[in-house]
Amino acid sequence: MTEKLLSLANLDPWLARLRERGSVYAPGTDQAGEVALREWPQPEPLVLDYKNFREPPKAFFLPRNQTLLYFRDGKTVELNSAVPETFLFGIRPCDARALALLDRVFLDGDQNDPYYARLREKTTVIALACAQAMPSCFCASVGSGPGDGSGADLLAVALESGLLFRAGSGKGEGLLAEAADLLAEATPAAKREAAERIQGVTAQLTPVPTADSALRLRGSYDSPLWGTAGQKCLGCGTCSFLCPTCHCFDITDEPDRRVRTWDCCAYPQFTLHASGHNPRPTPKERWRQRLMHKFRYAVENFGVPFCAGCGRCIRNCPVSMDLRTVLKELGA
Amino acid sequence: MAESRQLEAQLRETAEKLLREKNVSLFVGYEKASLPFRTTPLLLTKTEEAPRLVWNPFCNANLSVYLPRLFLAPADARAAKAAPAPPRVGVVLKGCDSRAVAVLLQEKQVRRENLVLVGIHCPGIVDRRKAEKALGEHQALGAGEDGGGNIRVVVEDGTESTLRREDVLADACLECRSPAPALHDILLGAPGEAARTGTARPGTARTRTAEFESRPLEARWAGFQEVIARCIRCNACRQACPLCYCKTCIFEQNRPRWIGPGTDPSDLALYHLIRAFHLAGRCTECGACERACPMGIDVRLLARKLSAEVEDLYGYRPGESVEATPVLSSFALDDPQDFVTEP
Amino acid sequence: MPSEWEPRILAFLCNWCSYAGADLAGVSRIQYPPNLRIIRVPCSGRINPFFLLRGLQNGADGVLVSGCHPGDCHYISGNLAARRKFALLKELMKYAGLEPERVQFTWVSASEGGRFAAIAEKVIGQIRKLGPNKKLVKSHG
Repeated sequence: MTEKLLSLANLDPWLARLRERGSVYAPGTDQAGEVALREWPQPEPLVLDYKNFREPPKAFFLPRNQTLLYFRDGKTVELNSAVPETFLFGIRPCDARALALLDRVFLDGDQNDPYYARLREKTTVIALACAQAMPSCFCASVGSGPGDGSGADLLAVALESGLLFRAGSGKGEGLLAEAADLLAEATPAAKREAAERIQGVTAQLTPVPTADSALRLRGSYDSPLWGTAGQKCLGCGTCSFLCPTCHCFDITDEPDRRVRTWDCCAYPQFTLHASGHNPRPTPKERWRQRLMHKFRYAVENFGVPFCAGCGRCIRNCPVSMDLRTVLKELGA
Repeated sequence: MAESRQLEAQLRETAEKLLREKNVSLFVGYEKASLPFRTTPLLLTKTEEAPRLVWNPFCNANLSVYLPRLFLAPADARAAKAAPAPPRVGVVLKGCDSRAVAVLLQEKQVRRENLVLVGIHCPGIVDRRKAEKALGEHQALGAGEDGGGNIRVVVEDGTESTLRREDVLADACLECRSPAPALHDILLGAPGEAARTGTARPGTARTRTAEFESRPLEARWAGFQEVIARCIRCNACRQACPLCYCKTCIFEQNRPRWIGPGTDPSDLALYHLIRAFHLAGRCTECGACERACPMGIDVRLLARKLSAEVEDLYGYRPGESVEATPVLSSFALDDPQDFVTEP
Repeated sequence: MPSEWEPRILAFLCNWCSYAGADLAGVSRIQYPPNLRIIRVPCSGRINPFFLLRGLQNGADGVLVSGCHPGDCHYISGNLAARRKFALLKELMKYAGLEPERVQFTWVSASEGGRFAAIAEKVIGQIRKLGPNKKLVKSHG
């Protein structure tokens, strides 16, 4: 695993070099005054000390509105698969880890998803370790952490004087090799500073008892707590749509094309059968499904909870439901 | 504010009494949430849980959203036999929320005889996004109200800071014209609190609408597109709205499918136009949709215009009277028709 | 757009007055441009404003709705209820930046064949001047 130092003065030249190969997206302030991944360069300077983006970067890999096929002249013509080279700089470790989780669904199974695979292959992910935790963050409780590099090609840690890069994949190693003239060797002091910074953020996190979730949730299918949660849930789908690991989709046919869009288990129609029967008829069953999928079924199928601990569902729920509270109550 | 504390105590007492005397079997209020600047709905059934109820400037959800689903008609005769009797429900309502209940009553979605409406004179509530933005890089660990009605915040390093109330009040509250619950069985608090703290700016909605309207046609279209561009079609605005109670929404019907479920620009525009139009003459301007939007979109852009039109053309304000015929279910022979081609 | 572009306009006509009015224009051999695609509906009150938006999304360049004159509705008041909906819809569309001429409402009775042809000509002319609908139409292909 290669580690290199990039001085802050060299950051822009490095991004400019990536820009020659494809689109670069980096953290900047959007029209609403929020920090988001924006096409680089922008007139406004890069932001490095943001907490996290409002949206996870999953739309880069699972577009909200993705044309799969065009129907032409009565024949099915596959979509032109040209995908531009893209670099994402500055996504937070939880969101990068979410990509590693999505890979298990879309790449590691018996059936690879070519659309996802293409976008994943052509997109280089450069994660940036967190400088600050939010009260809604719980990445360390789901096997990740503010310095987790899984899912990223490169992990950067912002230090006083620059960025410490750690390669996480062959692609990342390649990037570091290409930029050798801009980089310096990582000194032990820099490595120590990086470790301390990450430790500092980890210490800000409040642990959530989820490690043994699969085991515990197995016995709680009929818990009355699901009813309590279901009574409050509005079924709006915000939690899923902003979740970096939620990946359910719907496919609809337009007159001339087949389109894939996001879908969500909080909606009644998600499980509605053609007969009119709905196996998850009320918010109670739907809410249970979402939590069970993430913390029990995923653990049983993949060995890890399908949650990156980013806390977006908690921050954005219109009725402020908190899955950490429910997990705790179920464990009690 | 001391007043909030006092109101909170009265509210708990009221709920406890209603439950104890079996006037209601369910009481819907707010409780503390896990993050600052928020509360979460509390559906109470036990008297001993009444102390969990809170009343503060973070009580943002419109609780009437929970009512229609409690009174859903059984699907058929067999279901009707098995269905339990509809509950008697107590519910905490701000001014705008009580108008929403009035519309639900007008539209026969809830049963008046099963409701105990606990109205609270509303001093306006905080938009958590504004509060979070006002703190900049700081992070709130806790928040409350100070003696002057401003918002006191404890940030990550333990220091305290104060946010001015008018800087963080929700847009709908800044635009609010009737903070007092018109419809209620029990009324808590005193009127005029909003006016006293100097935050009521009832003309704001009109001013915003007039500003948008003064732009040329193409600029309005560009402005509308810019507002909805961030929409992810998650449905939070629809679900947070107490008046979007249709069992199957037009956006979900798929035989035929009316509009695509994705974010195609044409589908986005239709979603927002139709959602606004379905609420024409019904929207009580509570702003729950706007606060629910995870993308921070001004989802009331079109609704504000329609409210103004309904009032100007037909002199109607939704939710002011349960007895009135809904504005789009009625007509007058001399309704304006300048819009008609060659009338 | 190529010069041979012709506006395609959806016309929702009520069964009792306007459809008969259009029919009369036909049997009286009154000429008007052939750009209307007529859909007969029971009453202008039956028209959900969504039909009009959906028509524009599906490629119509404009929509014309016509019902009985106020007071003459076969169902007594369908057109009066419709009038409120359409007034608001038109305001809403204008506000959102859509050309108000794209969606038009009018009243034509069963005896007004000439009036129907004149209005059709006027509406078609206005929409022809606006050019193709690009704002709400869903791009196909």
